[in-house]
Order: sequence, then structure tokens, then C-alpha cells
Amino acid sequence: MGKHKAVIVCVDDEQNPLTLRKLVLQKAGYEVLTANSGKEALALVASRKVDLVLSDHLMPGMHGTELAEQLKAEHPNLPVILISGVNDLPAGSTIANAFVSKIEGPDALCKEVAAVLNLPLDACGN
Amino acid sequence: MSSHESVNILMVDDQPGKLLSYEAILGPLHENLLKANSGREALEQLLKVDIAVVLMDVSMPDIDGFQLADMIREHPRFQKTAIIFISAVHLSDLDRIKGYERGAVDYISVPVIPELLRAKVSVFAELYRKTQQLEKLNRELERRVAERTEELRESESQFRSLANSIPQLAWMTHPDGSIFWYNQRWYDYTGTTFEDVKGWAWKTVHHPDYLHEVTRKFQHCLASGEAWEDTFPLRGKDGNYRWFLSRALPIRDVNGKVVRWFGTNTDITDRKLAEEALVKSERLAAMGRLAGIIAHEINNPLEAISNAFYLLRDHPSLDEEARYYSKLAEEELARVAHITKQTLSFYRESQRPIPISLADVLDNVIELQSRNLHVSSVTLDKRFQTQGKIQGYPGELKQVFLNIIGNAVQAMPNGGRLRIGLRESTSRKNGRRGIRVSVCDTGIGIPRENAKRLFEPFFSTKEAKGTGLGLWISRGIIQKYEGSIRFRSIALAGTKATCFSVFIPTAAATEPTEIAALVA
Repeated sequence: MGKHKAVIVCVDDEQNPLTLRKLVLQKAGYEVLTANSGKEALALVASRKVDLVLSDHLMPGMHGTELAEQLKAEHPNLPVILISGVNDLPAGSTIANAFVSKIEGPDALCKEVAAVLNLPLDACGN
Repeated sequence: MSSHESVNILMVDDQPGKLLSYEAILGPLHENLLKANSGREALEQLLKVDIAVVLMDVSMPDIDGFQLADMIREHPRFQKTAIIFISAVHLSDLDRIKGYERGAVDYISVPVIPELLRAKVSVFAELYRKTQQLEKLNRELERRVAERTEELRESESQFRSLANSIPQLAWMTHPDGSIFWYNQRWYDYTGTTFEDVKGWAWKTVHHPDYLHEVTRKFQHCLASGEAWEDTFPLRGKDGNYRWFLSRALPIRDVNGKVVRWFGTNTDITDRKLAEEALVKSERLAAMGRLAGIIAHEINNPLEAISNAFYLLRDHPSLDEEARYYSKLAEEELARVAHITKQTLSFYRESQRPIPISLADVLDNVIELQSRNLHVSSVTLDKRFQTQGKIQGYPGELKQVFLNIIGNAVQAMPNGGRLRIGLRESTSRKNGRRGIRVSVCDTGIGIPRENAKRLFEPFFSTKEAKGTGLGLWISRGIIQKYEGSIRFRSIALAGTKATCFSVFIPTAAATEPTEIAALVA
């Protein structure tokens, strides 16, 4: 795998889920940065090159969809995936490139990330 | 009538002189004096005019006074005519008795004392006058009674029309509560006759579960005189019960005593069903909200744990045994995720209609029924020819198909085949394009006598299970989409098949002229 690892910013206000999601994506072969809020995520994206933002939807302060709106406004070419515990598509979530339900599991998450990044599935490392 | 209308006094004597003297004596009475010289003349006069008093000489040549009296009394008309005998001859008591036996009213001896004669004649004249007045009054009264009776009959007829045309059932009871009258609506609804339900026999059309309490409350009001109000089911002539809001008021006489009760029963079945459906839908909405919250709360840690197991897969520090445990745990966790996905997503309802795939809805329902299918050894034959995309509310559509498919599976407790079809179709009724879902089972079938009542509320063939509201609500939901639910149940050469067909239009209704063209 000598090529450039895609950089993913993972956003979630809860620590355990955030850590585990990061570890799963790392195992899948990505470089992962974490943020605990929409504000932190925006700061990270402004500070360096990022290939994908994966954000939880329900967070205190800025929701995932709001974050997605702002990201799209400032970085139109940056793909955004929203992940959430609710089973329904939240209103306005279509602004993101994809919506993943937490219930679908890590394999489905990896597939979605690969698809959005236009990378072959092999990159999942499984 | 004036207080003094003169009456006719008939004086009978063969001697004209005597007649004149009587005339003179009776003149001041201002009555109408008539003279007769003989018995025969007297009878003629009697037949001509109404005579109040007959003054007669007992001893006349051609006819004896007593004989004349007999003849007079023979006529029924003259039974009560006053007859005064004037007798020159001294009458013994025996003679007087003879006279009274003949109906003579009084005797006067000769010489006649004018004041006495006047007084006696006056008394009987007055008596006659009074009797005439009384009779006239009676006739007047009778006429008025006839008028009033006619008015009453008219008013009663109007009341009857009114009572029979109001939509309520109505009835009247004696003060003790026994019913003596029902309006026509009562008989039409209950299919009874008066003989069936008179008195307290109305109890026979009441629902047994409610009868005791209804009777108790009614009797309480009868005793206390308070207005009565109660709500309970009554059995109609088709055997079904409907709900009635019932009231009765006491009708009192001028002294405040209750003379009867007037009561009505108003059909509130539709309102009650709407209320129940509303409660049920509100409960579903509340469950939906709750399910949404639970889903979210469970899904978060679920994801975290799934991720942890993902990380444990093929972890170098795990030996074969540990990896095995991890794998089992991961599989069970996947089941948990699956269950929450299916059950918690079921009740959720969106605010606006959203694009739905009926194929997904049906798959969801099949998933929920998968255990039942397995337990009953039912094979599934899925024939989906389309995705079945419509605009709608996924929750209620899932409810409809869960109801229909659930019924189909329950009809095959010992195995069978469940065929679910999904295709584009056209309504047979109005030619609209739409999607048709068919659910067919090879189960016990629906008997003909139940067929008509299947979509009725409270009708259930499932004994203890089921509220009987499932198909009624399902039909209501599909009707909101301007669709339809139909079914057919057939038995051929030992095999039975029951098919429910749900049609949901996707196109707008066509114009009437277009429909005519399609039909033509």
C-alpha cells in the first residue's frame, strides 16, 4: 500500500464511539483525525488537507447536517458522510455525499467510505 | 239560552170555562198556555209540540184522566212529562197512590187555590226549563268534546309523524318504568314488535355485559325523578350491537307528580369508533416517538460494540479459542442490530408523505413474520414484478400489510403456501394506474356468512385474539390513498385459497368522460 493514505476527519461528541470508529477506519487503512464538535472539525479542515469528513449527526452545538452545509459552502469538493443512530434520513441530510446508519455495522461503513472516496474495496483491508 | 224561555203548559179540561180560569191563574207565569178539550186533543198537542207540564182534569167524559196518563206515559218521549191532576172529587189516598203509580206528578183539589196552582205549575215548568237547558248544555259540551277530540287526534297524528321521523329511537314509560310505546325507528332498528319489548322486555335487546348496570341506573332515576343518561350497546335486527347515548326525562302533572317518562336513544357508534381509532393512532404515534428515542439510544452503543468486535477480528493477541468467542459474540450482536432495525423502525412515522418502495415495506413485514412462517411450516412464494414506488407513510402501510399477511399466516397453522405478489396494475373500478399487492394463502378460508362482515369493526373470527379492528382500520388507511382492499375465498376440489388484493393508485383520478371512454 505505498500510496498516499486518505485522510479522514472523524467527528463525534461521544468519546468511546469516536475512538472505536477511528480504530476501525485505521484498520481499514486510512489516516484518521478526530474532532469532538463541528467547530473543531472546521478548524481541522482549515488547517490541513483532508480527503473526507465523517460526522455524527446528533451533537450538541452544531449538528452534523449544519456542519455538512458549512463544509460544502467552504470546501465544495470535500466529501462528507453523515453517520447517525436514527434510522430515518434527517431533514437536509441530502447535502452530504452519503448517509450511514450506525446500525449497519463497520463493514457497511467501510464500504460506504471506499465508495465515496472512489477507492477500490481492497483498501478496506479485509 | 235566555234564563226564561217560556215553556208550553197544556191544560186539559172538557169545560172551556175551567180552561179559561186556569188560563187567568197561570197568566202571570208568562209561559205558553195551550188548551185541549179532550183526551184526544191533548194527545194531538203532545205530539205536535214539546209540553212541559200537563194540567188535567181527572174526570172527563170521553176519557178518564188516569187512562190518559197511561197513554201519555206509553210514549217514551213523555215518560218524564209532568202531569198535574185536578180533581173535583175528593181523592182518597188509594186514588192518589193509583195516580202516582201511573206516573202522575201531583194532585190539586177543587176548589183550586190560584197561588197553589201557580206555584206547582211554576215549579214543574222551571224544572222542565232547567232540564232543557241542561240538555242543551250537554249537547254543547259534547260538540266541544268532539272538536277537542278531533284536535287531539290531529295533534296526536302530528306527534306520531314527528316521533317516527326523528333519527333517534324513542319510547315512553309509565311512572314505574314499564314501556308502553316505542317509535317506529325502535322497531326498525331492533326488528322487534311491541309484544316482544313491552313493559320491561326491552332488556332482551341489551348487551348482557351492560344490562345489569343500565337497569340499576335507570331504576335509580325512576325512584329519584332525576333525568336519566347512559351509554350502552343495543342489538339491531342483524344481530350486531351499536352504541347508543340514551336519555330520559320525567313528565310531571300540575302537582309535580311524575306521570310518565319520555326517553330517546341516539346512535353514536360512528363517533365511538372514530374516537377509538383516534386513540389507537395516537398510541401508535406515541410508540413511534418512543421507538425513535430508544432506537437512537441503543444504536449508539451498538455501533461502538460492533466496531470493537470488528477490531478484535484476527487480532494477533487472540488465540483460536478467544477468536472463536469473539466471533460468536459478534454474530449475536449482529442479530441484536437486526432486531432493533426491524422492530424499532416499524412504528416510526414521517411528518410528510415520502417516497416509499412497497417492495421494501413488504420485505420488512415478511421479515417480521419470518419466525411465524417457520413455526407453521408455511412456504413463501414472492412474486415482485416492480418496486412499487408510491408516495405515502411507511408506518401505516406496514401496519396494513402486517395485518393482512399476519392473518394469512394465522390461517395456516399446519402449513401451506403464502404467495405475495406485487405488480403494476389498473383499477377495475375507474381505470386508474397503480400498484397491486396480492396476498394469497392456502389456509382455512373465509366462510360465506362471514364474508360480508369481514371489514366491519369489532368483527373477529379469531376468538380471544384480535380486536376485530385490524381489517377495518386497514381498509380505512387504504381508502385514504384512494385505494381499495378486496378478497376472494374459494374452495375447489379439496383445496382452499384466500386472496386479499390491495390496490393503491399512483396516477391522479381521471376525468369522468375519460372513465366513460374506458368503460365503453
